[in-house]
Amino acid sequence: MSALAGASELAVPRRAAGDGFTNAYRAELQKLLAQLTTRLVALFAVIGPFAFAAVLKVQSGTPSDALFGAWVHSSGFAISLVILGFAGTWGFPIIAGVLVGDLFASEDRHGTWKTILTRSCTREDVFTGKLAAAGTVTIAASLLLAASSLLAGIALVGAQPLVNFSGVLSSSGHVLALTLVSWLYCLLPVLAYTSLAILFSVATRNGILGVLGPLIVALLTQLLDLIGKGVIVHTLLIGSAFDGWHGLFVNHPFFGPFLASGFVCLVWIAVCLGVSWRILRRRDFLTRSDAGRTSWTAPLRVVVAAAAAVAILALCASLGPTGVTARRVSHAIGAEFNNVTLLQQQLIGRQVPAGAKLDILPTCNRRAAAAIGPGDWNCNIYVYLPQPNAVPFQQTAVEYDVSVEYNGCYKAQSPPAFLGGPTMRNARGRNVTNPLYIVYGCFNEF
Amino acid sequence: MTDGTLRRGNPASVTEPYPEGGLALGAERSQQIHWCAAGSPIDCPAVAAVRATGLVKRFETTTAVDGVDLVVAPGEVRGLLGPNGAGKTTLLRILFGLIRPDAGEVELFGRELSDLGQSALDGVAGFVEEPAFYPYLSGRANLRLLARLDGNTATAEEIEDALTRVDLSPRADARLSVYSTGMRQRLGIAAALVRRPRLLLLDEPTSGLDPAGARAVAALVQELAADGVAILLSSHQIGELEKVCSAYTVLRDGRVVWDGTAAELEEQAPVSAYVLTTSDDAHAFRIAAEQPGIRAELTPTGGLTVAAAPQQLDAVVLALGDARVIIRRLELLVSPLEAMFFALTADERLDGLAPQELAAKVLAPA
Repeated sequence: MSALAGASELAVPRRAAGDGFTNAYRAELQKLLAQLTTRLVALFAVIGPFAFAAVLKVQSGTPSDALFGAWVHSSGFAISLVILGFAGTWGFPIIAGVLVGDLFASEDRHGTWKTILTRSCTREDVFTGKLAAAGTVTIAASLLLAASSLLAGIALVGAQPLVNFSGVLSSSGHVLALTLVSWLYCLLPVLAYTSLAILFSVATRNGILGVLGPLIVALLTQLLDLIGKGVIVHTLLIGSAFDGWHGLFVNHPFFGPFLASGFVCLVWIAVCLGVSWRILRRRDFLTRSDAGRTSWTAPLRVVVAAAAAVAILALCASLGPTGVTARRVSHAIGAEFNNVTLLQQQLIGRQVPAGAKLDILPTCNRRAAAAIGPGDWNCNIYVYLPQPNAVPFQQTAVEYDVSVEYNGCYKAQSPPAFLGGPTMRNARGRNVTNPLYIVYGCFNEF
Repeated sequence: MTDGTLRRGNPASVTEPYPEGGLALGAERSQQIHWCAAGSPIDCPAVAAVRATGLVKRFETTTAVDGVDLVVAPGEVRGLLGPNGAGKTTLLRILFGLIRPDAGEVELFGRELSDLGQSALDGVAGFVEEPAFYPYLSGRANLRLLARLDGNTATAEEIEDALTRVDLSPRADARLSVYSTGMRQRLGIAAALVRRPRLLLLDEPTSGLDPAGARAVAALVQELAADGVAILLSSHQIGELEKVCSAYTVLRDGRVVWDGTAAELEEQAPVSAYVLTTSDDAHAFRIAAEQPGIRAELTPTGGLTVAAAPQQLDAVVLALGDARVIIRRLELLVSPLEAMFFALTADERLDGLAPQELAAKVLAPA
């Protein structure tokens, strides 16, 4: 060391300017933005949708299992909504985990708790600063993904109208508004997953568990969705909240799941952050050797507690009423079939009077022992077409294989022999998506 | 404790900055903080930098800190000594608010740590164990980040100045992941300096530093202390503590076993050992051996070693002078602090030990 300046230069101590929260928030943002993982997530959020849209553009196949998946060649909004669906299942938990799961645990790994907690910030300042920074980056990444998916869809496919879950063509402006609202609504479950990542990070003091925690919860959510028929447990899961926007895409929007899931997310956020703060507030920041001695105690406790919670949820998964009944499925499919049939007629250039209605009789049955609940269903739709030579009419049966999800959304597909293939020629001779081949819909489970 | 730096006064009556560097701060908080430079001509408030009373901290079955009282005055450099596991680091962590004591109270500049949490740390800086930083940031970016946590009280120039003072300026933009242990240690000191501390808590500050770096830290500590900064220094390098400390607190098994000034320690220290080289070592040996309470030995490499209390050594030196034996070299082999530290922290007595035996026992690695 050299060039020691006069000590008197250091003689005047100064009080920290600004409030501790703001200082901690800015410092945390500086740290997060300096990390490679944050930059990679941002890069993925920007490039990913364009790559996805470009791949779809050059091939004829569609991700038809995803809601709106059959429409990705017809409307750019479908691409954004398909990405939203994927993101709700896996993308958002990964984003939350990668960006935030190591936020608290990294201070343990680097041994830097003692560095930041011995500056002019209280534990509360550091905690709230970290929360705000975590929320900022996850929301920013989600919005980036939303903007990128919309731009990619519109740029590579176009801003065409989209067939909604009632089988009606919605205008571009209306679909754009609904798509934006859907992405914004999903910020709530994103924040719930972020809070969960924070809880894992604080409770386990282990970055790996913090990062993987939300992803594991998302995976378990998928499994619980498969095994249970009851509405109660499904509604209590964070992952279910990503379905809340489905009710907006029908002719008569329903808001029950939208509101219930939003409330559930707020409860998750409050509980996760409350428990995290309680742990951090009471914690002693010991030496590394002390921490090493107990380094697996905390993660083990969290894993055991999480396993117990999952077991309880699995046992309760069938509690409560099931929203998927034959009556609801039949009613939804029947009404939608009417609308998509009329739409098909319009596409091929036939005049369809406003408010025209087919005379149909839908009959749906579950392909399993139990007559209710999500799973594979079979629907026969009997169409009574008035014919000049028929007395009094001609009956046509259309068969659909219907896959109904726990959340009341379904994909109905008809064998090509019945209603043609995935595409058809419209009145102008162009190949367009056949609205009758694959039908997406959602009904209110509540 | 250095008399004169702690004086009685009425904190509430002091509202203006002191002309000599002290400052009344934290008016927006519920308690005021007052700093006073050593030797200030005005009536400084009686506020110790650190006042800890009855601190107790238990971990499961062990009591790491057991009823510790500690006072560090402004301008004082207090050495915190103790063998491994004595509770030094735990005590420093309590003072930093990183650990909550099971009993006892801590006041930093008159403000209770338990009441105000980390905000009581305004004006306090330092580190516990090795300094820790973010490996994905550069040294400079780490300091900027910490300055940001302090409310951006340090300007870019001040950060640069701190880096220069610890000789890190040329490598300040390299990522911390490529820093050596010594460089991290120096960055830790720079991080403390940018807070413009009035109380420095340093745990093994010279660990990992080369001799020149260690000397520079010692000089810096003395410089800051001369400016009224209170410094609590925990170290295993007793030789380095001796150069800078004006007072000591010795811990053993979590308890304070000795507390006092350097002068008091010298007075109470058991025999020390010295290396003595003279113009006539054989004669010098006979003279030394004749003195009461002194044990001397001739060494195979020339010269002799003497085990004696400081006052007893004075008699030997005078006797050698009377006998016209010229002293060519007189060095401490075992210092009073080292001897005192051993006496306080080991269960063995040093009385009657030959100098080499004394040195072997006291200077043996723990």
